Amino acid sequence: MSESAPDLGRSGVIHDLGYRHYSGVREGTPAIARTLFVTGLRHAYGLGRSGKSKVMPFLLLGMSLLPAAIVVGVVVLTGLGDLPVSYADYTNQTQLLVSLFAAAQAPVLFSRDLRHRSIVLYLARPLSAPMFALMRWLSLSLALLLFMLVPTLVLFLGALLAELDTGDQVAGLLKALVLQVLLATLVAGITGLISSVSLRRGFAVVGSVMVLIVLTGVVSVVQNIAAFEDADSASVAVGLFSPWSLFAGLADAWDAGVNTPAPVDGAWVPAYALVAVLLVAGCLLGLVARFRKVGSR
Amino acid sequence: MINTTIAKLALQALLGRRRFFLLLAFPVLLVALVALVTALTDGDAAFDILPGLGYPLVLPLVAILAASSVLGPEVDDGSIVYLLSKPVSRYGVAISKWLVALGATLTAGALPILVASLIAGDSDRAVGMFVGAIVAGTTYSALFLAISAVTRHAVIASLMFVLIWESLLGNLFTGVAWLSIGQWGLRVGHEISDRLPDPANLPYAVLAALVVTLGGVWFAGDRLRSFSLRGED
Repeated sequence: MSESAPDLGRSGVIHDLGYRHYSGVREGTPAIARTLFVTGLRHAYGLGRSGKSKVMPFLLLGMSLLPAAIVVGVVVLTGLGDLPVSYADYTNQTQLLVSLFAAAQAPVLFSRDLRHRSIVLYLARPLSAPMFALMRWLSLSLALLLFMLVPTLVLFLGALLAELDTGDQVAGLLKALVLQVLLATLVAGITGLISSVSLRRGFAVVGSVMVLIVLTGVVSVVQNIAAFEDADSASVAVGLFSPWSLFAGLADAWDAGVNTPAPVDGAWVPAYALVAVLLVAGCLLGLVARFRKVGSR
Repeated sequence: MINTTIAKLALQALLGRRRFFLLLAFPVLLVALVALVTALTDGDAAFDILPGLGYPLVLPLVAILAASSVLGPEVDDGSIVYLLSKPVSRYGVAISKWLVALGATLTAGALPILVASLIAGDSDRAVGMFVGAIVAGTTYSALFLAISAVTRHAVIASLMFVLIWESLLGNLFTGVAWLSIGQWGLRVGHEISDRLPDPANLPYAVLAALVVTLGGVWFAGDRLRSFSLRGED
């Protein structure tokens, strides 16, 4: 290249190709966060992804809807005066499906970006790593909440159409909703943390299953044995160690139609609530720390 | 048919640091829980953990973990093409990998069940449980290897088979026992100890377990023969 003359009047001319400049409003972090949240929520159900990835979430959702439809049918046909299962208890009974959904879909939101290093592209935007982690967690939480809420709403609509007592049903539904929100944030935090640490899909799934299903199985065995041996406080204390027993314990204390092996009462109720909230907070801190670390590499 | 190099590589993949601890966690958890309950209670409460938790949950989970770690990571990151470009019989690859998965399933799944049921008492029943776990573990590992060769969602698909088909529906409909690997194992174990349940009948259970095992390994080899790499979905 020949040496160009320092002609100040014409500097930059060859670079101006006549493209229009963007002069609109720059929306900044909130808009990015909102988009990320919505995309994450859609991806959790396989929307906006390949056809194959829609199979698993909707198959599981269908399986958790089927018993609700059957229950509604039975109530309508036999004219029962009340639902045979409470709203919170329905979630508790279908916990296997909820756990599988969380275990299957958490790696979609938390592992893929880290495995393929596309996380650096996200973080090249004015979006901080903690915000990214929080939005992913919110997406998964809402996806889980919807997964639990949809069958509950089917039950509720069925109960209304069968003209059961509206006041009772609304109260039961609201109790279940509050518990489901807590459970969804808890399960999303735990599975998200596991999936962001172990990036191989299979291991993230097995790890989540271990915490959500095996650990819950162990806890419930120990709880039942302790209650059978009349060690009620030991039984209640063991319930602090798994997300599902926390959910069941709080539902039992709140009279939401779930029975634990030993009644959760007195000072155990705030203890259960506190442990659940601390667990959520701990998982969030872990997630933020994890994404800070991978984001800075 | 057995290729020692491939088996050695599969073993290394299985014993990678984190995986090994995850694999180790199951037996430790099971034996510790049974020992704890045996120490704290009397009666059959401790043994009930095995048919309730150890046999239907821990054994298949160990088999899933083992079967998917000998094949899954290679399929996931695409490095399986280097293996498949070698002039080695695909059935040989499948058999070598299955043997490693089988070894891991029996060591980390069946053996702890024997130890735990011995701790809970009654050695006859413990041996029956162990034989059942060997039969079921063998069949599980072949089936899950076949699933790993077919789909990238092998772990979830296998989990759904175990948790929803065998456990959830198996508890509701007794007829599921005819198509449930865990029940076949229990049926074989029943021959040794009468205290185990006897679903289905013995010749059928043995035959079915054999067919699924051989069919699973053959199918995994067959899938590897016509393997095509796809992108992430």
